[in-house]
Amino acid sequence: MKEKLQSLKSEALAAVAAATDEKLLDEVRVKYLGKKGELTAILKQMGSLSPEERPIMGQLVNQAKAELEEAISVAQNGFKTKAAEAKLKAETLDITMPSTPAKKGGLHPLNIVLNDMIDIFQSMGFDVVDGPEVETDYYNFEALNVPQDHPARDMQDTFYLAENLLLRTQTSAAQIRTMETRKPPIKIICPGRVYRADEVDATHSPVFHQIEGLVVDKNITMCDLKGVLEQFAHEIYGKETEVKFRPSFFPFTEPSVEVDVTCSECRGKGCRVCKGSGWIEILGAGMVHPRVLKACGIDPEEYSGFAFGIGLDRLTTTRYKVSDIRLLFENDLRFLKQF
Amino acid sequence: MKVSLSWLKRYVDIDVPVEELCDKMVMAGFEVEEMIDLSKSMRNVVVGKVTKMERHPDSDHMFICQVDCGTGEDVQIVTGAQNVNEGDLVPAALHDSDLPNGMHIKKGKLRGVPSNGMLCSGEELCVTEDDYPGAGVYGIMILKSDAGAPGTDMREVLGLNDYIIDFKITANRPDCQSVLGIAREAAVVLGKPFNEPNPTFKTVGESINDYINVEVKNFDLCPRYYGRVIKNVKIAESPAWMKKCLLAAGMRPISNIVDITNFVMLETGMPMHAFDLRDVKDRKIIVRNAYEGEQITTLDGKEHTLTSDMLVIADGQEPSCIAGIMGGMDSEIKDDTTEIFFECAKFRRDSVRKTARKLGMRTEASGRFERGVDIITVEYAMNRCLQLVDELGAGEVVDGNVDCNAGLPTNRELNVKVSDVVALLGIDISGEKMVEILNSLQIRTTLTDGVLKCFVPSFRDDVEGRADIAEEVMRIYGYDHIKGTAMTGAIMRGRKLPERIKADKIKDTLIANEFNEIATYSFIGSKAIDALKLTEDDARRNAVTILNPLGDEYSTMRTQLVTSMMTVLSTNYSRKVQSARLFELSKVFIPKALPVTEQPEETPALCMGLYGEGEDFFTLKGIVEAVIALFSDMAPAIDRASEPYLHPGRSAVMSVAGKKIATFGEVHPAVAEGYGIDGKVFIAEIDAAVLYGLEKTKTTYKPLPKFPAVERDLALVCDAETPVGVLENAIREGAGKLCEDIKLFDVYQGSQIAEGKKSVAYRVTLRSAEGTLTDEVIDRAVNKMIKKLDAVGATLRS
Repeated sequence: MKEKLQSLKSEALAAVAAATDEKLLDEVRVKYLGKKGELTAILKQMGSLSPEERPIMGQLVNQAKAELEEAISVAQNGFKTKAAEAKLKAETLDITMPSTPAKKGGLHPLNIVLNDMIDIFQSMGFDVVDGPEVETDYYNFEALNVPQDHPARDMQDTFYLAENLLLRTQTSAAQIRTMETRKPPIKIICPGRVYRADEVDATHSPVFHQIEGLVVDKNITMCDLKGVLEQFAHEIYGKETEVKFRPSFFPFTEPSVEVDVTCSECRGKGCRVCKGSGWIEILGAGMVHPRVLKACGIDPEEYSGFAFGIGLDRLTTTRYKVSDIRLLFENDLRFLKQF
Repeated sequence: MKVSLSWLKRYVDIDVPVEELCDKMVMAGFEVEEMIDLSKSMRNVVVGKVTKMERHPDSDHMFICQVDCGTGEDVQIVTGAQNVNEGDLVPAALHDSDLPNGMHIKKGKLRGVPSNGMLCSGEELCVTEDDYPGAGVYGIMILKSDAGAPGTDMREVLGLNDYIIDFKITANRPDCQSVLGIAREAAVVLGKPFNEPNPTFKTVGESINDYINVEVKNFDLCPRYYGRVIKNVKIAESPAWMKKCLLAAGMRPISNIVDITNFVMLETGMPMHAFDLRDVKDRKIIVRNAYEGEQITTLDGKEHTLTSDMLVIADGQEPSCIAGIMGGMDSEIKDDTTEIFFECAKFRRDSVRKTARKLGMRTEASGRFERGVDIITVEYAMNRCLQLVDELGAGEVVDGNVDCNAGLPTNRELNVKVSDVVALLGIDISGEKMVEILNSLQIRTTLTDGVLKCFVPSFRDDVEGRADIAEEVMRIYGYDHIKGTAMTGAIMRGRKLPERIKADKIKDTLIANEFNEIATYSFIGSKAIDALKLTEDDARRNAVTILNPLGDEYSTMRTQLVTSMMTVLSTNYSRKVQSARLFELSKVFIPKALPVTEQPEETPALCMGLYGEGEDFFTLKGIVEAVIALFSDMAPAIDRASEPYLHPGRSAVMSVAGKKIATFGEVHPAVAEGYGIDGKVFIAEIDAAVLYGLEKTKTTYKPLPKFPAVERDLALVCDAETPVGVLENAIREGAGKLCEDIKLFDVYQGSQIAEGKKSVAYRVTLRSAEGTLTDEVIDRAVNKMIKKLDAVGATLRS
């Protein structure tokens, strides 16, 4: 009986090894381990053995059964893995086929740049405020130290709505409103729309955008102005960007400067963008004119401050290399989708 | 302000390259708009003397010339010109030379005869009769006998060894609208002495009072009027040096007297005027306001009708000059003028500006008066003028002057603490250094106990206080000394206004829903709003208008964003952009009264526009709801809109708590067609101000369900006209607290349903937070729903 068991086991294991698919393997299982299987049949014959032989034989049979079951299980797993692999293989895609585009809109490029600026200045502790676009002569000119007969009025062609009402030509008007309503320390930026009677062309628009900055506190110096503008320039144009002051004139600041930064295109070597100078002009700034402080009820003996005005449209067109400012206001979706 | 380098060199020893001068001037506040190297255009062209001429053997019109070009040996040049004679001085372009017209000359052969260059015409050298007499003739330009020795560089002869620098003068520096002003600054930046002319001249006795009587009637508009008389005038050509200066500044030389007035204007910044005394009637000069309707013909031959706010210089009978702008034709200087009255004055700048604007005139003089001229320099300029008359022998100066003024200022005294200047700038500059800088700028300054005592000359009336002193010091000391520092003081947290935060929230939501933001002008055409077919009395037609618009299409401050949005949609549509979802969040301008007397209300408005496949009323409705949901946890109420520009059956108004927030829907096909859109297009307008005013109650977390939900389908029949919203409300009421969700999944009208009816199918989800729903509870809820539905005329479909 022992011998029979041995040969049966070898025979069964050989059959398992020979099975080429799950169906054949199952047939092997039924043939040997099924209710009427050959190995089962041996177990059934156990009764005919002596009580001494029975446990020994029982152990052997069970051992053979376990061995066979293990072999079948291994083979089965092998078939499953293969089948899974085959399925994955069949599901292989051509990954170079076009994607399903994600649906997404976007901000207008002017506001993308504006939001960057707001982040920079807000992180330096500047409040972001707003002011009216229709201004009175007082806020747009008079309080900014541009009296009626001042030639500086000619610097900006103004749209008038009534004798005393105009479309603001500069966000600086918001300086006055801020200083009238807040007490120092004041640290604000005021982004907004401004208007000048410029004919529309590739670089001029009667509607454009500025960001006004104003700081008023005790002991504010021109070096502080440069410090803030350096921070700003480093964030916008990169760490190694240098800031240069050039004397200039604005009625509401004294001293007044134009501010140049290292040309971002050539890094100061001189190129077409900077007309060979290595610098590009980005904004006007200066120390708040004592007369302006006084007009707002702030004592210039006690406080000083600085102000700056950044042209957002110019910043946007240079950042994205947009050659014609009119594209910003035309709103062709194929243009807007690029930002 | 255009100045030639050679003119500047008359007053300052400029020994640095012109580029360096320009850089230093820029850093002192004088931006260089343009710098032209006059010599660049011409090279290797010299004065040649024609020593011998022979006819070309193989040509009936060419000559073979031997030309002395100062090289020791005559150069053979063939020319086709017929106006050259032996002994003439001519411009000779040698082998390998460049001409201003772009030509490059090389030696060659003309019909077999070697020619080692070219004789030039005025045209080839880009020289006109104005620049050099004789340059305009047809043929070779024959030079004057004193033009220079053979071999002299033609650039020298033509004054081309020079640079023209165009400085941009800021509005605070009218004193630098003059060569002397620029020279004063150049001297300071170069650290050189400033050699200001000190005008002296001789007079010939007699008295000005015998020639003229002057009266100023309006000192407010003319604070100073200064005059001198010249007799025995000899009108002639100006000397070459003066012509060269004028040409470099872009002015045409005319005659000695006129050229002197122009030269002095450019040099000192003071406009001058010369009257032919013969034509000054009654020998009287009266500075007065014009009489209403008075007429004058100005030098340019144009007639003007004057108004009483304009200042004129009149003689005993009529105006002979529009003050500060242009002289009259009658009293202009003529070839036979023998006696002259010279005028130099200060006129009020806004008066000149207003008059010039009104008459549509702008002259070199008016530009200077508008920016402001110095009252003290008036006399200096006159003296300089007389000096030149004397030097050039243009006439004899009569004794005495007329000086009408209402008082002259003295140098203003300013006392500024050194420590205040240092505190403003943030860098340490010594008081001594400040004194040095200010004195170099002719602001006479001394230092005592840390205080600068400054005497500011009247030509610097922009210098009023310590900030100005700080600027003067800094721009000369050099802005590169300013080093960035971090501000000290309280730490502040930067905040945005609530309105901006809310706007950002809206934008985020719209962008996530595939919307792109647009930016359009705040003004629209006066007729633009007509495209919306609004009624005549619609409030949106009441708009603020611009008094001086760039054109009608930019004339009206918008009261709504729809027209701008439609225009942008139309642009995209016509350019075959397949689909678009756009929004604009901007201000609209609502006047309080018209015509405007005070600032209009500027309120934020939101407009969304869309078209393309898959877009319909309901996609837009979903967006509008999503935007409203950002600010309200109350579901908005919906009603039909009656907006002329929207489709009457496909438009709606949404409101929250009775406040109208949004108007939206399909654009009326007739309106869309007006914008050139022949497909469906959808627009929503949201009153952002009302939206921002809504309050969203604090949202807290709602626990996830613990018990299973039950779904029940309801197939209903109702009148075809009944809005489904009514059914939905009935279901919601009937289901009460158990209602979790109501979904409309079918609406049907047709053969299976009675005429005038429709079938509507809902899937209702019920759930309780307390426990699993029993059949009994569910049935009760369903019965309640059916009852409520019954009340609105909807029954279960059998």
